[in-house]
Amino acid sequence: MAESVPVETILRATNLRKRFKETQAVDGVDVIVRAGESVGLLGANGAGKTTTLLMILGAITPDSGEIEIVGQRLPRGRSVAMEQVGFAAGYLPLPDRLKVREVLSMFAELYGIADPGDAVAAGLERFRIPHLADTMGVELSSGQRTLVGIVRSTLHRPRLLVLDEPTASLDPDVAQRVRIGLDELCEEHGIALLITSHNMVEVERICERVMFMKDGKVVEEGPPSELAARFGHGTLEDVFLELYAAPDRDGYRHEREGFKE
Amino acid sequence: MKWHRVKAIVSRHAYVLRRSPPRWFDVLVWPLVDTILFGSLGVFVARQGGTGRAGVAYLLAGILLFHVIFQAQIAVAVGFLEESWSRNLLNLMTTPLTELEYVAGVALFGLLKLVLGIGVMVLTAWVAFSFAITDIGWGLVPIFAILLVIGWVISLFVIGLVLRYGPGADILCWGILFVVMPLSGVFYPTEALPAVLRPLAKLLPTTHAFAAARTLLSHQPMPWGQIAIAAVGTVAAAFAGLAFVLQMLRVFRHRGYVTRFS
Repeated sequence: MAESVPVETILRATNLRKRFKETQAVDGVDVIVRAGESVGLLGANGAGKTTTLLMILGAITPDSGEIEIVGQRLPRGRSVAMEQVGFAAGYLPLPDRLKVREVLSMFAELYGIADPGDAVAAGLERFRIPHLADTMGVELSSGQRTLVGIVRSTLHRPRLLVLDEPTASLDPDVAQRVRIGLDELCEEHGIALLITSHNMVEVERICERVMFMKDGKVVEEGPPSELAARFGHGTLEDVFLELYAAPDRDGYRHEREGFKE
Repeated sequence: MKWHRVKAIVSRHAYVLRRSPPRWFDVLVWPLVDTILFGSLGVFVARQGGTGRAGVAYLLAGILLFHVIFQAQIAVAVGFLEESWSRNLLNLMTTPLTELEYVAGVALFGLLKLVLGIGVMVLTAWVAFSFAITDIGWGLVPIFAILLVIGWVISLFVIGLVLRYGPGADILCWGILFVVMPLSGVFYPTEALPAVLRPLAKLLPTTHAFAAARTLLSHQPMPWGQIAIAAVGTVAAAFAGLAFVLQMLRVFRHRGYVTRFS
């Protein structure tokens, strides 16, 4: 019998805590992502997802906790670690006064890609937007901008791809294109994915494991199907509703049951 | 420091300048207007029987050297503000780019703008007022270098304040230099300042650099003492500027201010 090969840990964040004035935004969160794994970080608005991601990316300093990406400890190893990380967010615009091709070439250079032209063309092709190459960033729709942001974050074939609400502003067709592109990319290059989304259907399709956050803590964790079964529901969306309607859960249930009757 | 990242920042700002005609105002129009303004003022004063040609030279040399600080400062500070205005800060912070590489990129691109701006001034002063700054000689080189570094140092303070107080603090980018200008005696010896301001003026390395330039304009020997004071002051200011911006960056990361820019 073949010996099992230990799977490399790409991201290990332990006991992360962050307080902003009176608000404990993140409270003892552990996030571990292994090579090739797709992990979803879920929760209602204000649950602490984006703060957690920004700490992992080195943009916010945690009050306590440790972060290690591809063996590099943050903050000291941030620059080296970020060579292996890609980040895109649905809410981030592109730099002003640059064409899409120029934005992508600039970021390719930041990641040390020797021949940005080929990487840019391949990236645009993968997400089926080569026609946008010579469009100015400001002329893009929010959906197109998101697609370009995802191309930007994957140009250098990162080992960890972090996406914050990547499909928030996309229509179903484009969102599906993103999912397919990400699937292919992650499969071909073994890229690990850490994603936040409010779209539970999308998360179920993309992620092997999900973590639900509430009030800065991870309250549930596991594969989507297992979690849904544990809660006695068919989908993650129902799990979400169960978790985040908690303060008036009984009232909410009665309302639903009443409605059914 | 990785050169390819510095180059990426240079090309990003080159695209912005190419596509944004208003940005040329700082680089070409303002230097041109200032040269004509201060040159004409000098000529007018000279014709009133005041200073003769020396007055024109003082004013033109003063404004030209002031533009060295101005262009150096504005290039780095506006370069950073560009990321703030286009909400690109988080995009950059999540790449391998280091703070030093970023500043090196905008400063390097700023040098190109500086050469253009100063070139316009030198040419205008020569053609319109028969004033050649090169007549000052090689002594101009250390003065120029000191003012260049001071411009960069002031930009570090501006960046630090924008990091701490958010995009609304960007007004300082233009305003801060107009506090430095009168105190530094750009056009006059600081003895002309109100007595209460003179000790403060003496603390600024720019004061000694401009005084050294005036000494050279008067065809006196190189004032090495003043140059040395200006250089030491510049080094001290550079350390203070670096310490300040690093501390503000720590505060920025600690308090999660990046969300103000995204």
